[in-house]
Amino acid sequence: MRHGPRGRLVGFAYLAPALLFVLAFTAYPLAQMAWMSLHNWSLLSPPRFVGLANYERAFSDTQFWVSFRFTLLYAALITPVLIIGGYLLALLTARNTVLRRVTRTVVFIPVVIGLGVSSLLWYWLFSTDFGLVNRALLDLGVIDKPVLWLGVDATVSSVAISASVVWKVIGFGMILFVAAIQAVPTDVVEAALVDGVSHWQRVTRVILPLTLRTVLLVTLVSVIGSLLAFDQFYIMTAGQPRNETATSVFYIYLNSFPYLKLGYGAALSMILAVTILVFTVIQLLLTRRSHQ
Amino acid sequence: MRNRPRWPVRAAAVALLLAAAACGQEESPPSASQAAQAATTTCASKGALTMWERSGGNKQMVDMLVEAWNTKNPDCKINLTYIPHTEMVGKIAQGVASGDVPDLMGMDLIYAPQFEKEQQLVDITDQIKDWPELKTASEGHMTVATFQDRLFGVPLYADVSALFYNKDLFTRAGLDPDKPPTSLAELRSYADKITALGGGVKGYYLPGNCAGCNIFTVGPLMWASGATIEAAGPGDEPLVGDGVKQVLQFTRDMVKAGNVPEGSRTENGETFHLQFGSGKVGMMGTGNFNITLARQQNPGMKFGIALLPGVAPNSSASFIGGDLVVIPKGSKRVNDAVNVMKFLLSDEVQVEVYAKALNLTTRTDMVDNKYFEAEPLVRDVAKALTVGRTPYTVTFFEQINSPQGPWLKMLQRAYYSDDDLDTVIAETKTEMKAIASRS
Repeated sequence: MRHGPRGRLVGFAYLAPALLFVLAFTAYPLAQMAWMSLHNWSLLSPPRFVGLANYERAFSDTQFWVSFRFTLLYAALITPVLIIGGYLLALLTARNTVLRRVTRTVVFIPVVIGLGVSSLLWYWLFSTDFGLVNRALLDLGVIDKPVLWLGVDATVSSVAISASVVWKVIGFGMILFVAAIQAVPTDVVEAALVDGVSHWQRVTRVILPLTLRTVLLVTLVSVIGSLLAFDQFYIMTAGQPRNETATSVFYIYLNSFPYLKLGYGAALSMILAVTILVFTVIQLLLTRRSHQ
Repeated sequence: MRNRPRWPVRAAAVALLLAAAACGQEESPPSASQAAQAATTTCASKGALTMWERSGGNKQMVDMLVEAWNTKNPDCKINLTYIPHTEMVGKIAQGVASGDVPDLMGMDLIYAPQFEKEQQLVDITDQIKDWPELKTASEGHMTVATFQDRLFGVPLYADVSALFYNKDLFTRAGLDPDKPPTSLAELRSYADKITALGGGVKGYYLPGNCAGCNIFTVGPLMWASGATIEAAGPGDEPLVGDGVKQVLQFTRDMVKAGNVPEGSRTENGETFHLQFGSGKVGMMGTGNFNITLARQQNPGMKFGIALLPGVAPNSSASFIGGDLVVIPKGSKRVNDAVNVMKFLLSDEVQVEVYAKALNLTTRTDMVDNKYFEAEPLVRDVAKALTVGRTPYTVTFFEQINSPQGPWLKMLQRAYYSDDDLDTVIAETKTEMKAIASRS
């Protein structure tokens, strides 16, 4: 259908608020960040153009790549747990009974708590001297001396932090999965039942394929969230031991703000942004394929 | 996991700062351009003064000081605003660039050299250089308030580190509770005896994952042993003196001997202030803030305070922290702000506000007062003002305070590894020098 100039103008007017919002709060800051990454700027003195020097430095900055690798590992560790765990919870609680609704609410409640607050809460729970986790494990006879959960061993620290994050965000994926499962047409499910499929087959052959787009969406959100992980590591380990649990954003934060190297921080941010863009494009391609 | 990307928000904030900075770059350089007047402890003009102070500092003390000024100057009250600690630098820079700055502000003293170097503060040398109060003002504060022989501020309040020791555990271990250790050798020997008591009691405490706690409490052990720590600037040599290795060896031995709680490896500062009051630590370096806290936590516990010792008997040192009061470039009430400084350093405020509230005075000649006489622990901790110092570098956070910095890395290798200490020190020096050279 063709529209005249007036129709196009009206269409543009409808788009304008969103367009302005995106330009002001996404495109412009992104452009500024790119500009900043080409400068040395301490915030206290005028910016000085340095070309690609910040990028050159970033590519030879061992600590940044250690942080980057750890961030990818963390994303790879926690994303399957969140997706599979969230999906299983959704399957268990998708039907609308009182008990299931209560369960959904209980699992979802931590989602509304701020990540900083939740990290602080878990920092204290994992505390060697004051923490309830060690106390409970000691009383149950599971351990004979307190475990040093945070900041001593990178693997133990990562597991402890991942546990706290799973507690905090698994309800988010679960709710989206519940919505997707509930949207599966009942006639399709009933047809499968008439055909005599088992429960397992019903899940894997009917429900999962029909909710795949939501799975991919939650995966993308989880991956991006994990790549941007900061609060929990900043609060719970501060990157220790030996900076082995420092994430990329943590390193960017340190350079940009406490060290006042805004240009270098911006260059690191651009590298991270490109990485996230790659993951997003992959997800979009997979979504398109699943749609087809 | 975070569900929202944060960098666009930060980038937006920075972009706004950039625009503001661009607008403000034409301003005149900072100097006491206003006609200097003889400073008094009252306001020279009418109208409220605006003041910023970081949150996370000694809020109670600052509130009391402002209240005292406001009572004395009802026509020229200070409107105090607390700025989140982490936003202070950006807020000031933005304010200086846009001209929207307070008349005066409190600043974590450790960051003062950075602002002085970048000419963000008003040079007040000509107004205050002849004040007799400055002769006894906290040396650590005045060191960092000075840049290229020019003065930019005076102390607002002081925090000092000292050795707190549990007299009950001393008695149980057969030690004289009135004779705290005066050297690292004695500290080690006492810690061994206290740890031998068993029952989860440990002789000493080292915050294994907290850079700031360590410069506050382990740094003075090195200073007292004749060493220096930070590289002040490009070309400066950090970690100079045998005291560095001697203290690292001392801490390593303490950990290996089991004199330090194992949980201290995870200490990132969150529970540091609670350790001494638990009653299970014989001795630890901590700050004057721990007096009240330990009493609230453990009212029955008897404890004493001594200076942090070095290798040689009766050597001592302390870290002086706290805030400076400074005047940001663009302040429209420089003379009145200077009067506030004069007020803060006056005998009356030192005794009737600082000392009365059992906070440290910021002048060493004011520690002998009736309030401290009645409270020996405060009097004891105040002695640290006379032996204290403050690191001076524009890259303090990167060299020392950062959780990813070389200082903490060096200490952790000393505490928890068997790495050769000479190698550890050499590698740390290289990192510190590299950071300083980029400044």
